[in-house]
Amino acid sequence: MATFAEPMRPNIASADVQLPAVKDYEQVDREISATLKPTKGWGAALALSIAMFLMGAAAWTYQIYWGLGNAGYNPPVMWGVYIITFVFWVGIGHAGTLISAILFLFRAGFRTTIYRCAEAMTVFAVMTAGLFPIIHIGRPWKFFWLVPYPNWRLLWPNFKSPLVWDVFAISTYLTVSATFLYVGLIPDIAVLRDRETNPLRKRLLAVMSLGWRNSEPEWRHFTRMYLFLAAFSTPLVLSVHSVVSFDFAMALTPGWHATIFPPYFVAGAIFSGIGMVFTIIIPIRKFFRLEHYVTINHLDAAAKLCLFTSMVVGCAYLIEFWVAWYSGNMYEQDYFWNRVFGQWWWAAWIMLTCNMIFPLSLFSQKLRRNPTWLFILSIFINLGMWYERFVIIVPSLSHEFEPWQWSSYLPSWVDVSILVGSFGWFFMWFLLFIKQLPVVAIAEVKEIVAPKMKRAHGHGGHH
Amino acid sequence: MTQNTGPSGVKRRQFLKVLGAAGAATTAVGCTNEQVEKLIPYLNSPDQTVPGVSTYYTTSCRECAAACGIIAEVRDGRAVKLEGNPDHPVNKGALCAKGQSGLQGLYNPDRYRGPMIREGGKLVPTTWDKAIDTLVQKLGESRGAAANAAFINGPDSGSFAGYLDGWLGGYGFGSHLQYDPGADLAVEAANLAGYGVAMPKLDFASAKLVISIGADYLDGWGASVPQQMAFADARAKLADGPRVIYIGARRSLTGLNADTWIACQPGGEEAIARALLSAVGGNGGTVAAAAQASGVTEATLQGIVDELRGTKPSLVVSGVSTPGAGVIAGLCVDINKAAGNVGVTVKPGEALTGFGTSVGVGAMQGIIERANAGTLKLLMVRGVNPAYDTPKAMGFAAAMAKVPFKVSFSSYPDETSELCDLVLPDDHALESWGDVQATPGTIGLQQPVMDRIFDTRASADVMMMAARKDATLAARYPQKSYRDVVVARYGSAALTAALPKGMVSGNITGRAAAPMSVPAGAMGGDGEFFLVTYPHATLGMGEGANKPWLQELPDPVSKIVWQSWVEIHPATAKRLGVAAGDHLTVTTASGAVTAPAYIYLGIRPDTVAVAHGQGHTRYGRYAENLGVNALDVLGATWNAAGGLALTQGKARVAKAAEHSQLVTLEGSARQHGRGIGQALTVAELVSGATTEHHELPGDASHEFLPGLRSPVANDAQGDLGDPTSKDKGMYDPNHWSGMAKRRWAMTIDLARCTGCSACVTACYAENNIPTVGARWQGRSLRPFHTADGAGWDTRPGANILKGREMAWLRIERYFEGGEDGSSEFDTRFVPMMCQHCGNAPCEPVCPVYATYHAPDGLNVQVYNRCVGTRYCSNGCPYKVRYFNWHGYGEKERRQYAFPEPLHLQLNPDVTVRGKGVMEKCTFCVQRVREAENLAKLENRELQPDEFTTACAQACPSRAIVFGDAADPNWSVAKMVENSRGYHVFEELNTFTAVVYLKKVNHPAAGSAAAAVPAAAAAPAQGAH
Repeated sequence: MATFAEPMRPNIASADVQLPAVKDYEQVDREISATLKPTKGWGAALALSIAMFLMGAAAWTYQIYWGLGNAGYNPPVMWGVYIITFVFWVGIGHAGTLISAILFLFRAGFRTTIYRCAEAMTVFAVMTAGLFPIIHIGRPWKFFWLVPYPNWRLLWPNFKSPLVWDVFAISTYLTVSATFLYVGLIPDIAVLRDRETNPLRKRLLAVMSLGWRNSEPEWRHFTRMYLFLAAFSTPLVLSVHSVVSFDFAMALTPGWHATIFPPYFVAGAIFSGIGMVFTIIIPIRKFFRLEHYVTINHLDAAAKLCLFTSMVVGCAYLIEFWVAWYSGNMYEQDYFWNRVFGQWWWAAWIMLTCNMIFPLSLFSQKLRRNPTWLFILSIFINLGMWYERFVIIVPSLSHEFEPWQWSSYLPSWVDVSILVGSFGWFFMWFLLFIKQLPVVAIAEVKEIVAPKMKRAHGHGGHH
Repeated sequence: MTQNTGPSGVKRRQFLKVLGAAGAATTAVGCTNEQVEKLIPYLNSPDQTVPGVSTYYTTSCRECAAACGIIAEVRDGRAVKLEGNPDHPVNKGALCAKGQSGLQGLYNPDRYRGPMIREGGKLVPTTWDKAIDTLVQKLGESRGAAANAAFINGPDSGSFAGYLDGWLGGYGFGSHLQYDPGADLAVEAANLAGYGVAMPKLDFASAKLVISIGADYLDGWGASVPQQMAFADARAKLADGPRVIYIGARRSLTGLNADTWIACQPGGEEAIARALLSAVGGNGGTVAAAAQASGVTEATLQGIVDELRGTKPSLVVSGVSTPGAGVIAGLCVDINKAAGNVGVTVKPGEALTGFGTSVGVGAMQGIIERANAGTLKLLMVRGVNPAYDTPKAMGFAAAMAKVPFKVSFSSYPDETSELCDLVLPDDHALESWGDVQATPGTIGLQQPVMDRIFDTRASADVMMMAARKDATLAARYPQKSYRDVVVARYGSAALTAALPKGMVSGNITGRAAAPMSVPAGAMGGDGEFFLVTYPHATLGMGEGANKPWLQELPDPVSKIVWQSWVEIHPATAKRLGVAAGDHLTVTTASGAVTAPAYIYLGIRPDTVAVAHGQGHTRYGRYAENLGVNALDVLGATWNAAGGLALTQGKARVAKAAEHSQLVTLEGSARQHGRGIGQALTVAELVSGATTEHHELPGDASHEFLPGLRSPVANDAQGDLGDPTSKDKGMYDPNHWSGMAKRRWAMTIDLARCTGCSACVTACYAENNIPTVGARWQGRSLRPFHTADGAGWDTRPGANILKGREMAWLRIERYFEGGEDGSSEFDTRFVPMMCQHCGNAPCEPVCPVYATYHAPDGLNVQVYNRCVGTRYCSNGCPYKVRYFNWHGYGEKERRQYAFPEPLHLQLNPDVTVRGKGVMEKCTFCVQRVREAENLAKLENRELQPDEFTTACAQACPSRAIVFGDAADPNWSVAKMVENSRGYHVFEELNTFTAVVYLKKVNHPAAGSAAAAVPAAAAAPAQGAH
């Protein structure tokens, strides 16, 4: 089995442990291509997503015309749902890159069947997140002033501002993760091209597959490229959300001005992303009949990662409280007291319960292997992680240094519509994606499936 | 001049038409028709007027009886700002919020556009010819019998009163009534009897002890500005300043500025006054009797009595508004006389002469009776609104309806003018000629500072025109207009010489007579609670309610705007199960009002209080349908001078079902030990406890640079962030450009600041700050709206409920102590604006450099560059950045804050900010640059204290000093060295340019606070 032990193989896993129900390449091609056939349920979901998106778009148009005053801002709470949702979506993106890049480098076998989904989720989540800084600003038609473009006024953005760093972080992240997604798709697109009968589509797929011919040099270049992109993406997992966390940590605001923020945000991002992966992959494996690809074992492994990141996040929460107490800084102490036992106790407890307490259930193997429970838990994690950002942003701003300016916050219909619209936008792209391109990486699955030409029982158990 | 150009403003087509017409006019003068609309005040400017350069006219403020001198800044024919006249003996350059808001009276969008006449039951526009003919006809029908007509005029201490009586006399009518609902007639009468003048100068600075028995001399009672100046000057003497005791059922702004509050039961003041009289050797009463009547402990009262006995000189002022106020006022005169204060702290020789010429509701009763009896044929009203500002129980409006013909000279549609048959809108005071007695021997002149903006006529001119149409009277009015009367009175040459100063020597004769004397009413009513009503500090008795600046200006005590409220003690609220904002219904025999509860530490548990001023049914868009009129619960009860008793006795109070969020600017009323408003006691000041450091545990110690306490951050720009960098570019004080030579800074002396809020209005006026609290300025509540406004948040102050007020300068009011509900609490007023930090947290976070640091220390905000990320606000520890949420400066918007012609007030030197940008205090950068440019043009250096910011200019307490802290010749450079100085949140290393000087409290000798400085310092400076 020397061929299996080749160092070029990017992802070595034991096929008979991983996918016992997948027998050969044809089955992979057939079953995965079958998921691309549009169904009524998919059409309904897409229609709903587009409707949600249009609602958000209409609300944004309304807001641009009538002013940000129609959102729920209650100064000094000058950041609200939009920034919360921005951080939420950026965070979602992180699990995708973690799974597709870091776990790839770590040779974690369970990533093979879920990474495509996670990767696509990353791209669309970053696309969603990238809208929010624009939605949020007072004069969105001037957003390009944040971009350092040459102009006759010789005006540059302020490179000291974390918001400018955000521009770079988000645009870099979107570029790299989109490239990574696309490169991984090339062999799969070639499979689709070969099976396609519609000449127009076939031509399109041929162009998209860059004329992939499944040759040895192509594979060599492909795997090198993939490895390189994985290595390139890996630091982004850490840096992008660190930069996002600087939006807060660089301001003087109590509850924000903390050195723990970058690791805390990265952990939170990965945690929230895994939550979203569960939310997406569990219905997909059910409705696309891919239970034998995305197996319980895979879910179990991802759930362990989820539990781990939950505990990192929980640890960060506790350290925040401890630091506030230990600093002797009255503003911090007062703020954290107000966060958990004061004005915002309900939001803080939603966060603590959903992110720290519920995931502890994953210590139970039985629950880890129960997709229904994982799905329910993932909804709580999504909620909890949205509220984590709420708890970071709103209670800090509403309870700062100046007691005279202490305030409250309640989102308005515009905020809620745009929030809902962002889910519409995200799922619209995601739903379009899953019917155009394979949601499970065909090429990588084939790597862990025994080749047909080998002996009937030749696959597995050799590494 | 500028006529109404319609709701959509000037159309292109119209503009071209006018342009053409103007062109025609220059070639063929006299060929234009009169319909041409004048778009700009003048094409050919008068001599000495340069477009874009302000001219300044002196005149007199007519917003209250104090008659302050003002200077109107006029730009291109439009008054844009009112400031005090520095040479004027009454206000010495300062001006209160009310006075500054005179501009919004002038430019009020609801002013009558021209004369109106009632046709078919409705007031419809008419022409002046027809209006005056109608007036002439009605005057002719009623003439002969004095009882046939009555003329009610507003407070006016100028010579117009005599002119008016002369005109009325020509028709055989009796003298007019000068009705002032807000005047404290009881005190004026007692002062006239005791001192010979209605309102002597109160020299607080000469006193060692001030006792105010309900005299709210900082709340608009008497002459607001001069009293406040004197009070602040007294407090600025620090250890040598007076200790102030306030006696009253409710702690007003004056009460909050006192060192001790004696929470006296309404009606008990007289017994206290008698006990005080005994203390100074007069024939008064006992302390025991006073304790019995006032509900104050004998020990407390004994303490005050002893203090008064042992402290010379003292000053005792009465301003109680119970039916028995006259007696108390008389007792206070006696106390001052017995204590030897007359001539020392009470100075009749320097009296304020704008007082003592008005009558109160007692005199209105006569008119009501005549109207009800049907003998009154013609009623004329000018400058006052009796259908609103007399108690409803008196039935003025109903009586008025019985008068066959009613004429109003009001400029504004109000409750009275809307009942009239003919409206002859008066010119605003800033559009007309007049005079006013300012101080003994000084007459303040009033001249039009600009051409009239609507088709109005000065009442004096209307009277003249009417008289000239009468054969028998025409000969008496040879002049062309009232202007000629004024010119003739002072002489053309003398007047020309005097106008630049704004005053002439002399005394106006023929003013209204001495106050009336009527039987006083008595306290009464049933119910569990005493009801105290009081004039609103800025809305007064309602006359200020149509000015958005005043509606938006927080009440200095409650900090509530655009709303009425019922003050109730926390213990009482708890007992009744009332939370802040729950509606309370206050019922008396006269009526009931329902308003949300404001839970206030500074009121007796057995008392509730309601402010006057709101509850208008007709007074323009800014006044209507807001709050309640407290006059609805008052009966026809007056004091011996005929002034309405605002505290009439008891009332029933019940919790109503509704709840309204309080429209307040207050977040937390406590500073939670954060040392924002710091204070020390006299003992600490003397012992040098001021050197104590304000430190946080764990915080590194830090020092200020010598001379300049607030260094400009050397890292304000890009790569200069390296503190070791030698190259600081233009930020180097020695740079050839000289840009960094100055450090603009400000000191705010909390010992002087009374919290009056005049600076806030000055800031609104100077910086084009939009008011945002009107009903139509709220946000939308749902996506689809109907034309009638459904779907919008139309609660009064809807934006302010969301914390979206735009006040670049706000006054924070913190309470210290009294957590247990006791009356012993201290109040800190902290004016808070952009601190122009040397090391500003807002600057590095802005992604587009919309906010950056100028080399001269200003934290600059570039509106054009701002994209509205609002990150700067998040970084700001002082929370002094404000976001333009709705495009308040955009004309076509629902939320437009300057409906025509209010926009004519906008300061041309300051941008009107658009939607979606951040704005904040700029230290009046337009004034800084104007002064610098002027100095440069004149090829000289800036002179120390050559100019100042709008807030400092207006401040009647002179608490704010602005200038260059880097130049030791400026006052501010000396002030920042004061040992009382501190920076707010010093521990954040923001190096602010604003230095606050600690308030100085004067606790009673022998009290815990006075005896143990160290213990007292702890609560005063927070838990540090």
